[in-house]
Order: sequence, then structure tokens, then C-alpha cells
Amino acid sequence: MSKQIRYAVLLAAAFALIAAGCGSKKSASSNTATKSSGASNSVVGTGTYDNGSSKKGGIYRIGWEQSFGFTNNFDPTGEYLGNAWGLYSNLMLRSLVGYKHLPGAAGNDLIGDLATAVPTPTDNGLTYTYKLRTGVKFGPPVNRAVTSKDVAYAMNRLANPKDGGQYSFYYTLITGWDAVAAGKATSVSGISTPDNQTIVFHLTKAAGDFNRRMSMPATAPIPPEIGKCFEGKPGDYGRDVISSGPYMLKGSNTASASCASLKPMSGYDGANGNHIVLVRNPNYDQSTDQYRKSYPDQFQFVVNSNADDIFAKVQAGQLEDEVSSPAPKTIRAYATDPNLKPKMIPNVGDRTNYFTMNLTQPPFDDVHIRKAMNWIVDKASMQKAWGGPIPGAIAGHVVPPVLYNNGLAEYDPYSTPNNAGDLAKAQAEIKLSKYDPGKTGKCTMSACKGVLAIADTRSVDTRMVPILEADTAKIGITLKMRSINGAYTTIQTPAKNIPFSERPSWGKDYADPFTFFAELFDSGAIIKSGNTNYSLVGLTPPIAKTVGATGAIAGVPSVDPDIKACSAKLGQDRLTCWENLDKKLMTTVVPWVPYLWPNNVFIVGPTVTHWNYDQFTDGPAYSSVSVKG
Amino acid sequence: MASPPEFQVTSGGAIALQPVAVARKSPSRLFWDRFKQDKAALAGGIVIIILVLVAIVGGPLAESITGHPQNTTYTQMTDAFGVPKGPNSQFWFGADAAGRDLFVRTMYGARTSLFVGIVASGFAVLIGLIVGLTAGFFGGFVDTILSRASDVLLAVPQILIAVGVVAACSTNKNGCLGGLLQPGITVVIAVITVFSWSYIARIVRGYTLSLREKEFVESARAAGAGNIRILATEILPNLVGPLIVYSTLLIPTNILFEAALSYLGLGVPADQASWGSILSDASQLYDVAWWLMLFPGAFLILTTLAFNLLGDGLRDAFDVRSER
Repeated sequence: MSKQIRYAVLLAAAFALIAAGCGSKKSASSNTATKSSGASNSVVGTGTYDNGSSKKGGIYRIGWEQSFGFTNNFDPTGEYLGNAWGLYSNLMLRSLVGYKHLPGAAGNDLIGDLATAVPTPTDNGLTYTYKLRTGVKFGPPVNRAVTSKDVAYAMNRLANPKDGGQYSFYYTLITGWDAVAAGKATSVSGISTPDNQTIVFHLTKAAGDFNRRMSMPATAPIPPEIGKCFEGKPGDYGRDVISSGPYMLKGSNTASASCASLKPMSGYDGANGNHIVLVRNPNYDQSTDQYRKSYPDQFQFVVNSNADDIFAKVQAGQLEDEVSSPAPKTIRAYATDPNLKPKMIPNVGDRTNYFTMNLTQPPFDDVHIRKAMNWIVDKASMQKAWGGPIPGAIAGHVVPPVLYNNGLAEYDPYSTPNNAGDLAKAQAEIKLSKYDPGKTGKCTMSACKGVLAIADTRSVDTRMVPILEADTAKIGITLKMRSINGAYTTIQTPAKNIPFSERPSWGKDYADPFTFFAELFDSGAIIKSGNTNYSLVGLTPPIAKTVGATGAIAGVPSVDPDIKACSAKLGQDRLTCWENLDKKLMTTVVPWVPYLWPNNVFIVGPTVTHWNYDQFTDGPAYSSVSVKG
Repeated sequence: MASPPEFQVTSGGAIALQPVAVARKSPSRLFWDRFKQDKAALAGGIVIIILVLVAIVGGPLAESITGHPQNTTYTQMTDAFGVPKGPNSQFWFGADAAGRDLFVRTMYGARTSLFVGIVASGFAVLIGLIVGLTAGFFGGFVDTILSRASDVLLAVPQILIAVGVVAACSTNKNGCLGGLLQPGITVVIAVITVFSWSYIARIVRGYTLSLREKEFVESARAAGAGNIRILATEILPNLVGPLIVYSTLLIPTNILFEAALSYLGLGVPADQASWGSILSDASQLYDVAWWLMLFPGAFLILTTLAFNLLGDGLRDAFDVRSER
């Protein structure tokens, strides 16, 4: 570029700045005219979309943002990703009990799936006997009837740590489970299969939610003749999952059933790959299945790193559906266009987004500081950062009310006007804290300056972090924010002693509050890596030594006895017990600042004729969707 | 005023050589005479002076004028869906994704960008000068080691390594190297310095190789001057010109490097505005919030262009052989 041209560009750039400055005045009136709604309530619909009649045929294409993100390479024994459960439960695997794949409370009703019915426990709640229905067959290359021994094999695989189970802790109450986990036995003694259609579980203690635990995908049958090819190889089975449901991995029908010649199926190109293609399982008998409609001939899940591109393709009819999170601009575009609006479907997500405070790290080792944090956070602005009321409702406590059958719906011990935070109440708490010896209403000690906080690098984090920093600064807490792509790895390591994180979000595993409390607040859940009890509730000196946590360990409160007591109860007693524990956590322990109960917002394309939400998997009910052929 | 001719023609047509007085000019005068003829470089210099002033006082002044602290979020500046609103009479550049005043943040961004660019370039020049001087002057084995080390750095995929280093230093409380490198601006400066000095070192080495063979160096050596004295009094003064030129060209490169790191989310912390981080936010919203891209982008272009023009002008003014 010649000097003259660059000189001209310099002048042009300077002119552009001046011109833009002038232009800003012109656009002022139209922009300032827009008013913020300030609404804090959530916006959810019926969870259903219809645009014509449902019929068999067609290809259902789904854009999957960024990467599959599987936790165990799609191997059901260890796969803990909710989106993967959506594929398993709706399309590929039939566990003993399952769900109707409906939105709302009906979607959390248990039904017999592989079993003929949901069993009632006997022996004072210690024995569960499931009868398998006939006519359910494995897809190719196994091509035989599913038996109770296939379920027992899957359970034994789950018990063996070498096979990668990631939620085995739900089943440790089965007699003999621990022996397999410890390598002292090869099969769980508390599981018996008197015949091919019967499987019996003997428990060491009663659990009111055991049937629900048997709805999770890791419990679905695995044929031993294929499973044995992958023993001791966690994740490898993911590319050769054998179907017991209406769809199978593409290429299954050309695979071999012998370990020596078994190759990964073409329908899934691996954890770092970009597609999963499911085709009909020729051995599937619709008459054995009341709740899966299975309309499309094929499902194509394709990874796309550009969320904008995914939503553009959905709108253009080049994709039917998405596994993504619509940005505020996308939500606005759909919410404000009458033609697009019906295609955006917000659904209750059975999930809580929260800020976690480490009970061992100053200044959060003081409950008054933790309470002050709950008072000061501007939750309305946090909600806006996510896109307003459509992406979620403001959270007032730990577990979303839907999991209490709408219990505690109005409960919020830190309710503030317009959910914008309350400086006076926050300051009142700070004055009670040891970190404000002068009773100034601000944390004045060095422990409150430069407090390490971990954030993620999603676009929503860049919107939330400044709000959070401004809020905490009002009470004298300055955060040293570190933004890390994939923040979970860092905050899941107790030895790093992270005082605060804005990243956490937790969703149910099944419709019982136990799946929140056991994982997030039980001391037994505190592990060296992959820890989800970020606040370290219930930490004791021995556990701290094991996991490498340091700090103010003495005096960390525990709710272990409460969790144990509630988990043994049934029915409404159980729910009430969980509700009381929720209140105790919010008012006495205070490990979190819960700020949002997110909705799962889905946007469907113009070719979709039916769509509904699956409350169990908190995603699309692929078993019911249909597309124009 | 026109210069007097050095010869005169008589009325008869014969050429009569007359002694004519020629004004003596110092090297700096010669430099300035040449430099001031380059209007683009002058304009670049003026813009840089303005930008430096903006960097020093622009942020606080903007806060004072608007009454909007740089990290305060304004809910009225995002709509019901959380999408930021554009320029108006109170928010001249509109708001960013979190509802902060973009004008104030752009002004503060000047401070971050220029600080990182100038400081990192300063360190890079210092290291490059020492390495290049040593390699060029002593030659032999020392030259081989230092030059190859410099070549290796030039061959390294800089952004990839930078991403790794910055990410590693940001995942724990104490930063890297026992706390020497704290996450944030110090890591960014360190990373940029590490990847910038080798350019300077190569240039300095080349000049030094040439200079050490010059007569004035031979003369100094014959007069008994030692290596250090020769380096300090004979070679270093002759490197000042090229160093100034390449420093001014390195600064915009490093400003863009910082912007690239910030764009990737690896630059300065979120509470510290930088043009790169604002542009990073803009990438999510450019289709509904054009102002996020325009203002920091224009400043970034203006700054790099100004430094480039100034650098070109300085090079031409220092180098008497260059053609305009």
C-alpha cells in the first residue's frame, strides 16, 4: 500500500470516528425509547409444537453446537451428558423403567419400558422384582431377544470401575455392589435372574427412588457377546452401542458380532467427530412400546461450531432442530416476530444456575459474608444476561420447585425489590461478619480484596461477570476474576481451593431432589477430581487431607444426616424432608447464590410437523418428533 | 527560501566557478528536514500524540464527563432480552453486552492497548538489542547459538503457544513461575515480549555485522579501545536510528497481538477494557449491535496506521539513500 493511500485511509478512519460520533445523536431517540420490561417471571409454554399431521418418513436433522461434549464417548455405562441421554432414552436404549417422553409433570411419571410394569418393592422396600416384556430384540449384529441377563450384565459393567461408570454411586445400595467395585467379586451378588424374563434386586437399605434409578441409561441391557469386547476399555463401546430401541447406529447391520472383526460403526465418528446418524432398527417391534412414535426414518446429529449458523439453518429449513443455546439476539428475533414466535419453545429445565462459595476459603468461611452475597446479587440483571424471562426464571433456592411438585414455589429467603439486590440488607449482614470489624457495612479486611473467582468464557459469562463484579464491590469484595474455557475442570479440583465460581449449573438426573442434594452437598461426593460439591459442604479434616483441600476446615457445616434421613422416606414425606433441607441450606449453610432456574429453549425449523419436550431428558422428545417427508 | 546555487553563469555564457557558502547541517537537522516533508508521517505522529493523551487522561475524563464508571452496568442500556442498546445522548458510543458505557471503555481501552504495545515493544527491543549486538559483534559460536535460538522462536506458532501459556497462567491463584507472572496484563506483556524480540535481534545483528567492519571501528580498535567501549561509543549510536524505526513498527504489531489474545479471551481481565476484548464481545453481536465493532475497531485501525506511517517516515528520514 502506497503512503498516499495509507494517508487517505488514516484520514478516512479519523473521519469515520467523527461521523460515527455525530451519528450517535441521530439514533438516540429511537434507542432510548425502548424500555426494559424488568419482568422476572419465567416464560414457558406447553412444551409442544404442531404444524401439520405427523407421519412416518423423512430425515430429522439436528445442529449440535461446538462439539458433542460426551463424558464417556457415548458409551452408555459412563455417559453422563444430558443430551446423550436424550438419544439413548428416546431412540436407542430401553431400560427396565422409563418415561412417556412428554413435557411437564406427565413426563416424569415412571412407566414400564423393558419391564412390563413399575414394580412395587417387597421385603420392606429391600427387594425389587422386574418382569421383562417379550418381543424386545437387540438390533444388528446381535439380532436376538433381550433377556434379564443382559440387564444384569449392564449392571455388573456399571459396578466395575474399570468400565468407566460415572454415576455408579446411585447403585451402591445393591447388595454386593461394593465388592465388585473393590475388585473382590466379578458379579453383584444382590442381582439375580431366576429366568430370562425376571430380574431381582436386593438392597442393603430402602430407597424410595430406586425405580427411578433404574430408569437411567447405564442400566439398559447390553449384550455380553458385544460388551465383553470392550471390558476394561471405558468409552470404546460408544461407537458400537447395540440398540434395544427403535433406532440404531448407521452401519450396525453390516457389523460383525465377533470381537475379532468388530469395527466402529459408521453412524458415529467418535468423540472428536462431527456426526451421529441413526437409522431404524429392523428388529424393533412397535407393539412392545406404547410411548415411542418413531416417525422419521433417520436422525442426523451434526456438530457445527457456529451457533449463529445453526440457527440460520434451522430458520431456513436446512435443519429441523438444535442442541444449542440461543443467544439473546436470537431469542429477541423469535419473540418479536409473530411468524417465528411459535417455533421457539421454552421449557422448564429442571436445573439451577448458581454461584458457588467455598466454605473453607476466606471470606466465604463466614456465613454472614455468604448471606450478604445472596442479598447483593442483582438477579434481574443476571436473568437479562441470559436473555430475559424466556431463558429462565429467577431462582430463590436450591432445587427448582417443579421437583417438589411446585413446593417452595414462592420461597425465597433473599427476595429483594425487583430482584435487583438489596444493599442495605447486604450491609447489615456484613456488619455481623468478622471481616468488618469496624461495622462499616463493607468488608474491609484484606481477605476480601482480590478474591479469586473462576468464570467460563461463554458469551453469557462475559455479560454476567461485570454485573457480578460491580455487585460484590458494593460490599467491599473485589473479585480477581479468571476466565477459563471449560472452567469445570478447575473448580472440580478441591486441591485448587477456588473460593468462588460463577460457572456452576446443575440439572436433575431423574425427577427427585436427591439427585441435587447427594451430588452437591454430601461429603461422600467430595473427590479429588471431578468433584461436584464445589462448596465442600460436609468437609472433614480426613476428607480434606485426601483431596488436598486446605483452609478453614474446622467448623464446615454438614448436611449428611439430613440427606440420609430424607433419602429413606417415601412420597410427600420425602418431598417435605427435601424442602426443609433446601431451606436449611439457604438459611444456615448458605453455600450458594442461586440466581436462575433456566428454561431449555428450543427452536425448530419450518419442516417440523410435531415437536414436544421430554421432561426426563430435558431435551427434545425425539421419539415423538416428525418432519415433512 | 531557495538554496543558493553552487555555481554561477556569467553573461557571456562562460561558466565561472565561484565559491559558494553551503549551510552546514547537523544530522538531526538533516533528519528533521527530511521528516517534516513527509506529511503522512507527521499526521501519524500527531495522531499518536493525541492517542497517548487519550490513554493517559481519556478514561477518567470520559468517566467524569459522562458520569459512567467504566465497570458499572446500566440495566436501561440493555433491552428486555439483554441485547445492548446503541448510541444516545448519554451513551455516545452505546453500551456493551453487559450494559456498560462503550465510550468510557473505549477510552480506557486506549490505555490498555497502548500500554501493552509500548511496554512489550520496549522489552522486546531491549532483549533484541542485547542479543543482536552480542551475536553480531562477537560472531562465531556465540552468533550461532543466539541466531539459531532466535530462528527457533520465529518458527514457533506464536498464537498457539501464547494461548497455552496464558491459559496455564490463568488457572491457578498464583500465576506462573512462582508468582512472577500474574494472570492478566503481565502475562500478556511477557508473552508478547517473548515472541517479539527475535525480529529486533535479527535486525540488530545484521547492522552490527556491517558496522563492526567499518573504518571507524577499526580505527577505534587500533587506538586501543576494548569491546565494551567500541560497542558503547561506536556501534550503539549508529543503531539508534534503526531501533527507533523498528520500535515504531513493532508497537502496532504488538497492539494487534494483544487484541488477538483478548479476542480469544486470553488477554486482560474482564474488568480492564481493551479494544481486543471489546471486539471479542462484538463478534457475538455485530449483527444487532454495530457500535461494538465500529468504535474500538476504528481506534485500532487508526492507531496501527498512525504508528506505521510514523515508522515509515522515520525510516525514510534516517536513511538518506531511500527514495520517496
